[in-house]
Amino acid sequence: MNAIVFSAPFTAEFDANNQEFSLAGVIRPHSVDEIAASISMLKSAIADVRGVLHINLRRLVQMNNTAFQAISRVVLDACRARPDLRFVVVTSSVVGWTERMFTHLNRIEPRVTVEVYDSKFYPGQSFVEDTSFIPILRTQTKMTWRHERTILPRHGMRPGIVMADICCGIGDFAILVKKEFQPTRIVALDHSKASLDYARDMAARFGIADVEYTYGDASEMLLEDNQFDLVTCRHSLQIFNRPTALLKELYRICKPGGRVYITNEKNSHCLGEPRSQSIQWTYDEVAKLFSHFEMDVEFGPKSRRHLVDAGFDDILVESFMVTNLDGDPQDFADVIAAWEQVYAGEMAVKRGDPPEFIERFRQGFRDHIFAALHPKGYAGWPIWAASGRKPL
Amino acid sequence: MRAARKKPQETGFAPLIQFEMDMATFLSDWQHCDQLSTFMARMISHNRMDPIRHSNFFSFALNELLEVSFRGGSPEGRLDCTVYRHDLKERVRLSFRCPPGQQEFYREAIAKTHQEDALGRYLSAISMDQTPNREVILLDLAINFDADLHLEEHAPSDITFVADLPLERALS
Repeated sequence: MNAIVFSAPFTAEFDANNQEFSLAGVIRPHSVDEIAASISMLKSAIADVRGVLHINLRRLVQMNNTAFQAISRVVLDACRARPDLRFVVVTSSVVGWTERMFTHLNRIEPRVTVEVYDSKFYPGQSFVEDTSFIPILRTQTKMTWRHERTILPRHGMRPGIVMADICCGIGDFAILVKKEFQPTRIVALDHSKASLDYARDMAARFGIADVEYTYGDASEMLLEDNQFDLVTCRHSLQIFNRPTALLKELYRICKPGGRVYITNEKNSHCLGEPRSQSIQWTYDEVAKLFSHFEMDVEFGPKSRRHLVDAGFDDILVESFMVTNLDGDPQDFADVIAAWEQVYAGEMAVKRGDPPEFIERFRQGFRDHIFAALHPKGYAGWPIWAASGRKPL
Repeated sequence: MRAARKKPQETGFAPLIQFEMDMATFLSDWQHCDQLSTFMARMISHNRMDPIRHSNFFSFALNELLEVSFRGGSPEGRLDCTVYRHDLKERVRLSFRCPPGQQEFYREAIAKTHQEDALGRYLSAISMDQTPNREVILLDLAINFDADLHLEEHAPSDITFVADLPLERALS
């Protein structure tokens, strides 16, 4: 049985620059006296701010009624004493009871409003959550799995481990891992409810009942510290605008001595022959396009630096090339066609690119498909797999 | 046996987990409420649709019930907690010994959770009171967790809370 980690100490912080008072962790005091310092900090914050005070509860895991009522009382008293002030309580969509409880304050005092932190999780989410993209995500996993199933054991994957797949998407990687490596426990977390619904359906269809799919914010997870032998996070740091924050969370939930495994691309290194120049130009532009939306699809070779900066040791980095020669070339072509649709058909349009640019942009993808399906052609998609050990 | 309101549905609920503890031991440390609720929630949530979030919701509700028994229990006898499941609901049955005269208080508090003005009472309490009383905690469970609360009195000094919690539905 895994060790049960009980309540981590809670933290209260006030950020004067952003006029934000934050509570995180588990707050279950016996009496208000036990949280007197935090209540005092909240009162000081109220005295210090002008206009609006944000009360950030996104990282609040648990709170009892003693704490809730003490905080509510301070806020409601302040509303009565300070007509110039309003409060914005920011809750997480993951911890639904916070929204329910704090919304009551708005019924009492309309200057207390509740905002649920959700869809702004990462900028690229809307592009990859389209259900039409799901078959392509499955094909991508099928193509990368051919390589990763041999790579993963070098990065800590073995039977019997407790693992988490963070940003699991449609959950197919978790199912493949479950079948191939038989971890004792696997938690698979994602912020897309649609993807998780799909994942649960797929798991049920394959008769796999013990993957724990959970809705959550990867940068602020409900999962306790030091739980997992292996934490995987594939193709996600590159589309997250705060990769350092995400890595910090992956580090936190990993056991000392366990490993965090990440995969990322360097899109400008996608290649193909023939028509290499057109292909090269388009993928250089892909990198710029993602950068415009605060995503770094050039992240792959930067993995080592990020893992070092996050505190990991024993870092392993390797790369592999998914190509048209892996299995059916049509799979490779289908993936590129989907990229063309999303990158040129949606993202470039959203950026406001002119039609002539978009047409040239599309041509590179078409040439990549041409190379993939050409009887003498070669088309590649490079991926960097890296992992680091959390020091003991 | 007297019931504060109509008896809750008995059929279909299967036991999942149970613990017993000397009340004196339970009352020796406030952290027992948090530790027991966290552990029980983790154990019963593993095969729910979203185990992590279900555990978080269930832990909140069970902790509040345990805190009620901590604040209102007497150090004799045992604390007995059993969790059952039927479809999308969990049922907590929590028994403990309480000081004489407390049954009437709990009877009224539970009855108020079923009254039409429950929300008004709850809002009034969080608007005016500095700290929650046991009545407000039960209202919180009824209003924010859709808990259906009942009371069983098997002996003059014993109280049994029965809380039906449709958390799986709330999470879906």
